[in-house]
Amino acid sequence: MATLFWLQTGACGGDSLAILSAESPSVEQLFSSHGVELLWHPSLSHHAMRHHDELIERIVSGRQSLDILCVEGSIVTAPRGTGLYDSYQGRAKMEIARELAVRAGVVVAMGTCAAFGGVHAATPNPGDCIGLQFDRAQPGGLFAPDWRSQRGLPVINVAGCPAHPHAMTQTLAWLAAGLPLKLDELNRPLTHFSTVVHQGCTRNEYHEYDIEDHQPGGRACLFFNLGCQGPLTRAVCNSDLWNGVSSKTRAGVPCFGCTSPDFPRDNDLFRTEKIGEVPLRLPLGVERPRYMAYKNLARAAAPQRVRDKEMEP
Amino acid sequence: MARIEVNLELNRVEGDLTIGVTLEDGVVVDARTVGSLYRGFEQILVGRTPRDAMVITPRVCGICGTAHLYAAVLALEQIWRLPVPANATRIRNLCLMAEGIQNDLRQTFLFFTPDFCHPRYSGHPLFERLMAAFEPFKGELHRETLTMTRRVLEIVAHFGGQWPHSSYMLPGGVVTPPDARRLLACRAVLDELREWYERRILGAPLEEWLALASATELFAWLERPGPAAGALGLMCAFTRSLEMHRLGAGTPHMISFGAWCDPQRWGPPYDAHLAPGGFYDGDSGQVSPLDQGLINEHVRYSWFKPYTGGRHPYQGETIPDFQPGTDRYTWAKAPRYGDRVVQTGPLAELYIAGDPLIRDLHAAEGGSAWLRQFARVRRAAVQLVRARDMLDELAAHLDEPHFLAPAAEAEIDGQGCGLVMAARGALGHWVELKDGVVERYQIVTPTAWNASPRDSAGEMGHWERSLIGLRVEDPDDPVEVGHLIRSHDPCLVCTVHFLESGRRLRLAP
Repeated sequence: MATLFWLQTGACGGDSLAILSAESPSVEQLFSSHGVELLWHPSLSHHAMRHHDELIERIVSGRQSLDILCVEGSIVTAPRGTGLYDSYQGRAKMEIARELAVRAGVVVAMGTCAAFGGVHAATPNPGDCIGLQFDRAQPGGLFAPDWRSQRGLPVINVAGCPAHPHAMTQTLAWLAAGLPLKLDELNRPLTHFSTVVHQGCTRNEYHEYDIEDHQPGGRACLFFNLGCQGPLTRAVCNSDLWNGVSSKTRAGVPCFGCTSPDFPRDNDLFRTEKIGEVPLRLPLGVERPRYMAYKNLARAAAPQRVRDKEMEP
Repeated sequence: MARIEVNLELNRVEGDLTIGVTLEDGVVVDARTVGSLYRGFEQILVGRTPRDAMVITPRVCGICGTAHLYAAVLALEQIWRLPVPANATRIRNLCLMAEGIQNDLRQTFLFFTPDFCHPRYSGHPLFERLMAAFEPFKGELHRETLTMTRRVLEIVAHFGGQWPHSSYMLPGGVVTPPDARRLLACRAVLDELREWYERRILGAPLEEWLALASATELFAWLERPGPAAGALGLMCAFTRSLEMHRLGAGTPHMISFGAWCDPQRWGPPYDAHLAPGGFYDGDSGQVSPLDQGLINEHVRYSWFKPYTGGRHPYQGETIPDFQPGTDRYTWAKAPRYGDRVVQTGPLAELYIAGDPLIRDLHAAEGGSAWLRQFARVRRAAVQLVRARDMLDELAAHLDEPHFLAPAAEAEIDGQGCGLVMAARGALGHWVELKDGVVERYQIVTPTAWNASPRDSAGEMGHWERSLIGLRVEDPDDPVEVGHLIRSHDPCLVCTVHFLESGRRLRLAP
């Protein structure tokens, strides 16, 4: 059995609620058939808080083994580096996270807040929030870039706001089985971060032919005018649908790039910044001059049914 | 007389919570709810493009992001005086109802009833049935609630792409139109949920239960074999055996902002609701129309830069001033309606909207922890019916617009508020725009009302007051406090500037 302790720091609880929507596996299946033994979760545990306090004490003193520590929420360091804007029994949560992490086999940042700082670290960052091992895109957060957990791994960043339910449960099932995980340069598991949101978006045909919406509520692509970050954001949103049925971009909500360290961007989230006619941020790895040439050709080739936006996304 | 001061920690409250209580011979004589996380959402919004609030504010709360999104969009529509297509309002309502059903079921069966499985009750005649139904991850209701709440959220995903944290309501409407595929998929979810709710929770048809109009009818109905075997019947039998219908009334005053905008009548002055809101004055017993101008927030006992008395949210400020070791004890502000301490939630919502059963029970027994929890289960049924209405209305008006893009010149500066009934009660966003960006953003959440600290006059908040007189057997394992506080459906993450647990500051007795 792999023991798991879930700690909430500066959080909204969204990752805890999102994980309840996982089906393959579900949270229940993690416990019943993937060998995860839940020591504590703030919303799901039914023991008295006395039990929680004893658990922390036993983990810290080495009497209780801790295989997986999940942290949900930004690491709040204000005021003046004390972390007391987020405390438990007078102690900074930041310190509790630190002392549990050094005992843990692996540490998993559940969501963009714990990974990179997240929405609470948005300008002007009133709580001086950081991530566990990153400060936005900068390596080094609560822990230095070279920090490693007992199993020799950096903090595993299951990024997302909230993290995708299956990115959470599948990562946990894999770790509980003791299997190796490959990580990207931001320490996100490659299994869930080797796909861009754009892949599988049902508005792709509009993107392909450069048929763009200028206002929300339409059928066409949201990338060129409405701020969609789908082509440059790594996440499984369109290949493993949310709540089993859809995704933001399918529904017509631009992707805000919530698995990225710079989420949320400082500028207008519903507008695409452009140089001339071309978006400032292009799909991952695309070269600007070639992109312009390609799009001009594509637009010229667009079939009438796409130009007329007859196709339902 | 034994006088002790203890910190009671609580989980399963959407965030951890510490309540400092003073016990005399085991009875609570003083209480303080302490919020000790400050995230500063209101500051993050200042200077941003107004629409960014549709992305930022749902992230205030993981369990009621739809309600925050709804409040944020209403505030901007009020400032810009936008017409809202009826279909947009129907879709917004449908999604808010789905989120509400999710909340009401999870709060009841994942957060409230697990306490019934406490070893202290092992000698209770109902204990075997309680364990079989409510034991976490083993009991049938606990497991089925995980499945059914997962299912109901599909409705939000059909229109918003995902739950939680989407941004599908925008000034002028919603981003996805209704179509036959989505409506029928949502209908299948509602049908399945209704069948389960009738079979497992009620043990009776939904209409029969909603038609109950008096305490006498209810108690007779609960004796019948079907309802007696249902989860609601079991919950009522157990909680009432613990006298929970006599405990934890808290403040007598209640507030509702009105539930669900009326699709046909929504427009300036933006106050037409399907279930009307208002203020219930617990002293006079009268319901009066809501006057949002009477809402004000105090910071006398909060860790914010002090000001005198209360301030309306349009004049509100949120400047952290962390002063542990003083008599200030929380990151929560103290909202008041005039000078009244009020409570909000399903009880307030149903009472003020005129639900005859809730009104009669309140008249017969007064407010209580039991009645709050009972009202929450009843509201789930109301939402099931209303959600079906929304689907039927959408089907009958498929060709109407779902989004009317605001003209660029409509996006003027000004002040506006968005008031909704979230799952936990009255939620308001008060917004001021200047030079095209957010100048001020103030959020007052349901838990801010319920979990408020003392105000400038020293009046306790609702939870604090609801605990006074409660007998606590074992302060290390305060199961009675758990029942009582969880009956308020606390959401500690939802207090914006008030989160999670903290330590009681000892005051000289």
